[in-house]
Amino acid sequence: MLEHAAGPINYLLITGASSGIGRDMAIALSDRYRLILNGRDAERLEATRQACATPDRHLCWTFDLADVHALADAFSAFLVTNGACVSDFVHCAAMLKVLPLRSISIGHAQSVINTNVLAAMELTRLLTRKSVNHKALRTIVFISTIASQFGAKGFTAYCASKAALDGLMRALAVELAPEVRVNSVLPGGVRTPMTEHMYADADIGARLTRDYPLGVGLPSDIIEAVAFLLSRESRWITGQQIVVDGGRSVNISA
Amino acid sequence: MLVTGAGSGIGRSTALLLHQLGARLSVVDRDEAGLAALCADLNATNDNGAVTAHVADLANLDAIPDLVTQCVDANGLLHSVVHCAGIQAIMPLRTLQIESWRKIFAVNTEAGLVLAKAMSNRKVYAGDDGAIVFISSVMAQAGSVGAIAYSMSKAALEGIARSLSLELAPRRIRVNCIAPGFVRTPLFEQTEKLWDDAARKAVENLHPLGFGRPEDVANAVAFLIADTGRWITGSTLVVDGGYLAR
Repeated sequence: MLEHAAGPINYLLITGASSGIGRDMAIALSDRYRLILNGRDAERLEATRQACATPDRHLCWTFDLADVHALADAFSAFLVTNGACVSDFVHCAAMLKVLPLRSISIGHAQSVINTNVLAAMELTRLLTRKSVNHKALRTIVFISTIASQFGAKGFTAYCASKAALDGLMRALAVELAPEVRVNSVLPGGVRTPMTEHMYADADIGARLTRDYPLGVGLPSDIIEAVAFLLSRESRWITGQQIVVDGGRSVNISA
Repeated sequence: MLVTGAGSGIGRSTALLLHQLGARLSVVDRDEAGLAALCADLNATNDNGAVTAHVADLANLDAIPDLVTQCVDANGLLHSVVHCAGIQAIMPLRTLQIESWRKIFAVNTEAGLVLAKAMSNRKVYAGDDGAIVFISSVMAQAGSVGAIAYSMSKAALEGIARSLSLELAPRRIRVNCIAPGFVRTPLFEQTEKLWDDAARKAVENLHPLGFGRPEDVANAVAFLIADTGRWITGSTLVVDGGYLAR
């Protein structure tokens, strides 16, 4: 893409980039895209940026996406300050806390919904405003989960938020076509620093291995699917949920 | 790699792309002229990999194991099978003839299963990083007047893929489907002839991104077969320009 000194520069926005899949995704895609990295922790976000190819090409935007009321003003100010536009957006940020129904407060549920769903909607709304983003937006990928399709104990708020995210994805795909493509990737359980303790536990580790016909998944497996959905190779794919789960969700005996 | 239905449309596009990416190919179609045209184009593009062409009608299920053996003899052990061959006939219930219905099921569905069985044979399968891709259709999930046989044949294919993926996972063969929406292929143009302009526009409008191209499906096949799809099995990847999202 041609870059003019006077015009805004196109970026890929990755939320949740300070840890887990978001962090690995930022590093993996940093040689192909200029990135805007979002996360809550400025120090860890900066560490992600430093781990990227040519760190100077990328920007950090520290913001807690649960604050959906302040989000639009904060992000449009950030874009103006940096002369940046967003051509691609991956919503990786998510809150997950395993809690039985009786222990869930409405405040907790609302921050889960805010971070996992409403922030994605608010960012998309902002990025489709001509005055803010100059019609630069082309592709959106939401990181959902196979748990948006199935139930699991202790996952009520998380399952609800991710099912809502899938619904949002389909509605946006229809409303924003043909200029913008919108899809979700639905990962199964992936081995990351956050889930490492589960795989280290002999019992849980054995069950996770048994339930996944292709064995343990890695962040890179999810990132390949995201990269495909961001690329021209998927130019006729929109409104879809791409399941990347090693066969977990077709395995009825798991 | 073995690609069926390679004489035209999605199969042709898939063969061209996989060859371009360096695959050794065996291409199968009942249409000899279509295969010859494909091979001429493959030889013109570059020298990547060997290509062997096999004229066969997959409705003849009993001949498939021998066909696969011929492919292996000519081109080495198989890593992947892409079953693109498919037939369609508009048959409303009142004109539906069970023999035509069976023919559609044989080519679209049973041939896929028999190919998978043949591929899983130790004398055929290369032993690692295997992938099977069945070309399904949005009609596996949606319905249309006159499409009983086609709809059923594609839905059954997705059913096969789900259970087969579990059986073949221990042997490192992944099994997935791609469900295209309306892609401009010779098969589709057959259907399109039955429509006037208004009807054509109405169908195109059902696709938020318009009608697709064979290359759109071929790119998805390559994504699933390559290492990029390493942890994907038993799934259906819908490539439909937003048709099913509405």
